[in-house]
Amino acid sequence: MIELFIFIALPVFASALCFAVKNLKVQYALSLTVAVFHLTLSVIVFLGVHQAVLPGFFSIDSLSKLFILILSNVYFWVVLVSFSYLKRPAMPKAGEGKRYYFLLLNFYLAANSAAMLSNHFGMYWVASEATTLSVAPLIYFYRNEESLEAMWKYLFLVSIGIAFAFMGILMLTLSAKGTVLEGQQLFFWEFIKNAKELNPIWLKVSFIFIFVGLSTKIGIAPMHSADIDATSNAPGPVAALMSGSLRLTALLGVMRIFQIVRFTSSYDVVRIILITGALLSLFVAFVYMFKANNFQRMLAYSSVEHLGLITLGLGIGGFAFIGAMYHAVYNSMSKVVLFIGSGNIHRAFKTREMSKISSVLNKVPKTGWLFLTAFFAISGIPPFGMFFSEIKIFEGILFSDMPYILAPVMFFLLFIFVNMGRNIFSMLYGKRENGEVHNETEPFDFSHFVSVALLILLTAIAISSPDILYQNILVIAKDFGFAL
Amino acid sequence: MGLGLLQGIVSVLVVLGLSPLFAGLVNKLKAILTGRIGAPLLQPYYEMQRLFRKETINAIGSSFISRISPLVNLVTMIIAAAMLPVGFWKPVISFDGDIILFAYILGLSRFFQILAAMDIGSSFEGMGAAREATFALFAEPIFFFSFGSISFISGYTSLYMILHSIQHQNISYEVFIVICSISVFMLAVTECSRMPVDDPNTHLELTMIHEVMILDNSGLDLFLYQYSGYIKLFIYAILEISFFYPFSGQGYLLGIIIFITGSLVLATALGVVETIASRYKMKNIPQYLLFATAIGILNLLIYTFTR
Amino acid sequence: MENVLSILFCLSLFYLSVTSRVKAYVTVLRVQGIILTILLVIPFLSHFSVYGIIIPATMLIVKVIYIPRYINKVILDLDIKRRIEPTIQQMVFLALVIATIVIIFFASQLLSKSTPLNVIPFASGFSAIAIGIYIIMFRKKLIVHVCGFLVLENGIFLFGTSVAFELPMLIELGTLLDVFVVVFLMGIALNRISSTFEGFEVAHLGRLKD
Repeated sequence: MIELFIFIALPVFASALCFAVKNLKVQYALSLTVAVFHLTLSVIVFLGVHQAVLPGFFSIDSLSKLFILILSNVYFWVVLVSFSYLKRPAMPKAGEGKRYYFLLLNFYLAANSAAMLSNHFGMYWVASEATTLSVAPLIYFYRNEESLEAMWKYLFLVSIGIAFAFMGILMLTLSAKGTVLEGQQLFFWEFIKNAKELNPIWLKVSFIFIFVGLSTKIGIAPMHSADIDATSNAPGPVAALMSGSLRLTALLGVMRIFQIVRFTSSYDVVRIILITGALLSLFVAFVYMFKANNFQRMLAYSSVEHLGLITLGLGIGGFAFIGAMYHAVYNSMSKVVLFIGSGNIHRAFKTREMSKISSVLNKVPKTGWLFLTAFFAISGIPPFGMFFSEIKIFEGILFSDMPYILAPVMFFLLFIFVNMGRNIFSMLYGKRENGEVHNETEPFDFSHFVSVALLILLTAIAISSPDILYQNILVIAKDFGFAL
Repeated sequence: MGLGLLQGIVSVLVVLGLSPLFAGLVNKLKAILTGRIGAPLLQPYYEMQRLFRKETINAIGSSFISRISPLVNLVTMIIAAAMLPVGFWKPVISFDGDIILFAYILGLSRFFQILAAMDIGSSFEGMGAAREATFALFAEPIFFFSFGSISFISGYTSLYMILHSIQHQNISYEVFIVICSISVFMLAVTECSRMPVDDPNTHLELTMIHEVMILDNSGLDLFLYQYSGYIKLFIYAILEISFFYPFSGQGYLLGIIIFITGSLVLATALGVVETIASRYKMKNIPQYLLFATAIGILNLLIYTFTR
Repeated sequence: MENVLSILFCLSLFYLSVTSRVKAYVTVLRVQGIILTILLVIPFLSHFSVYGIIIPATMLIVKVIYIPRYINKVILDLDIKRRIEPTIQQMVFLALVIATIVIIFFASQLLSKSTPLNVIPFASGFSAIAIGIYIIMFRKKLIVHVCGFLVLENGIFLFGTSVAFELPMLIELGTLLDVFVVVFLMGIALNRISSTFEGFEVAHLGRLKD
């Protein structure tokens, strides 16, 4: 009960308090406290020090343990960096955005935790719709035309997507007709237990609806456009939050239904759907990288790529599944660093168009170096974690029944890396034709601290490879029926 | 047998005799609803009397078609009236599959009217004929969808049998009543050139559909046209009312009461619709008819799925 | 009774596809809300319980009273013109709707052979979902898109009743609340859009492209 209080009720209280308290500093302190509590509890739960027993529609299994840890980790760093971000003399109209910033952030935490801890499809749906609602106003932080358009599109498309997911959930109840589950509640574990008895046609239809619907939120092609618009126009920390945790929340829904399908005859079809979606996402990112012009948009597409990889790992199974879980962890952290860096660059250059940005390393050297490092991290250069997780995914593909997939995947990833690298290097090192370059010094700011900390954490996890994480992922894999 | 025939003849006479009264009732109600005193209830009779006494003049270029067309119109209407069950009386003409005859006998009258309009050779009337033909094209499916589905549920193909075999107990019948009456009402409005589709009172040639076709007729010809128009309106009214017969529980007296109150209610409905609705643009009429068709299709769908 | 209400729901969909006024959309939304509320109330007529009446009551407040009123207010505040401004001809749209509904009815008839389900509400709900998407696709005004979204939501609800499955009350209330907040946020966004772009049409939203 106390866990539920800290995970969900506390953020709700905090957001209510943020509504009452107008002082930004107090709001920040409050949110940070909540974040610390949340992080502590999720670490404790993850380490298994404390066995959490949740009432009602909530429960904790190894999957939600991992995901809620990712969430609270990302959230903690994002909140930590938020204040220095808000303090800046940002866009003229953002004043109103600041007032609701922490309120919405807290509400987002509550909704997202509820979604991750839910063990009931209905509850999951309500909570994940609530995350959309809390994130949408945050996208409109800058109060300019682009962000308004992005918010509208995100709100609208994701709401429709989620509505489709709801249909999928209803189809799932149809598939349970005539089995012991008929008339029962939509608890995940009961469905998993009785998965074999479900009607295969409805189960497949249900999966397709849920997958397509939630794709709008995950950002899997071809439903990625609203997500890209939103991520590329949101302020840095919010974009980090979206890429690092919100997409995973939606992925969790897909994984739940996938877990049900895993033990039925529909598994083969569903696998193909997952793999197709994943390859399509990689392809979309691959194509975009050739003509990228807006760097935050480029990062958003990079999210599409990585979520595509995770989905691919899900679809392939086996080793790739384990790789995918690791990938989710590493991706979330690298994305936070990248988006924080991109926020800093946006502040320094007042634009997101790469053709207008040059000599980042001279103008904001600290941000520039961190951005570069984060780029290496996201591209899977050792010693950063992505390297190991991608290797695992590749290994999984190679030893699966369809090793030929590896060829296009490698091809796409190579070109994504090359093109992204080209763009980022021209941003960092490129010089204007007639502009003189002054070496400026940049004060060491909170955001740099967060970036450094996260990069160190990332490397540390990758190199030390904590056994507890590995064991947990193994348990998840066992839950999904991937014995190793 | 003898009694049945007598009943049939009486019902035809009822239709023939009361149809101008019904038209007068609608006009009177419309006048009252728009705040006028309006013409007397029996005005259609007076007008017909006036026309009857006038001399018939035919256009110079017209052929025999123009001469026979008014008569054909009236005769087809009488035949159609003879197929309708008024109250619980068995109609004179009733056999299996007579709904198709019913539909096409009404089509025949329209066909002759269109021919006659083109026969005169006036461009206005040709335009009216073209419009009438176009809208008839859209109107026909409405009839078949609604009556087709209702004949499916009853299992009979004769108007009399259809409307008298349906048991009130059939659960889906309420749905049918609602939907059929909506679509048949829309059909009636179109066929009898009433307000949202056509304005019977206007004489602006550009917007007229039905009235423009009889611009060049006079005297007895015009009388016949007008009279068959009144009968047509009443026929559709009876069609609409007959959906509610099953509520009478097969009782004769109740049937007649339903017939009378139904006529009154329908006249009021027509009056209200004509008061509140404005005339549609010409290009929106096919859409209106397609809407009615859609309702008819819905009918058929329900039938298919409630079996 | 359920069938009758679903058919009325279908009729409202037909009406949606021929009308060309924004206000009519709001009225149809209200009617659909009433139909859904009645659907929810029916089970309580036989065995009444105070506890179970909460959801129909919320439904009534949210879908029949508050959301239509809110949309009307937005229309009034922003001075939105009453034409819906379709991108294709209404005739074509209606034909498309008819074809879709016929296909959906036949498809669900086929499906009902393998699984016992209530065909008419099922197909009506599904049709509403399809038509909600059509409305979003073929209309220019953003406020009409919101209406289309709500039609879609109503369709899902009807669809849910045909599956004959009850979610726990808490979750049902949560879904209603979510829909409500979505509409509320969309209204605010529309307000902003109208002041930023001086218009409420999709054409104004073309800045973000790859």
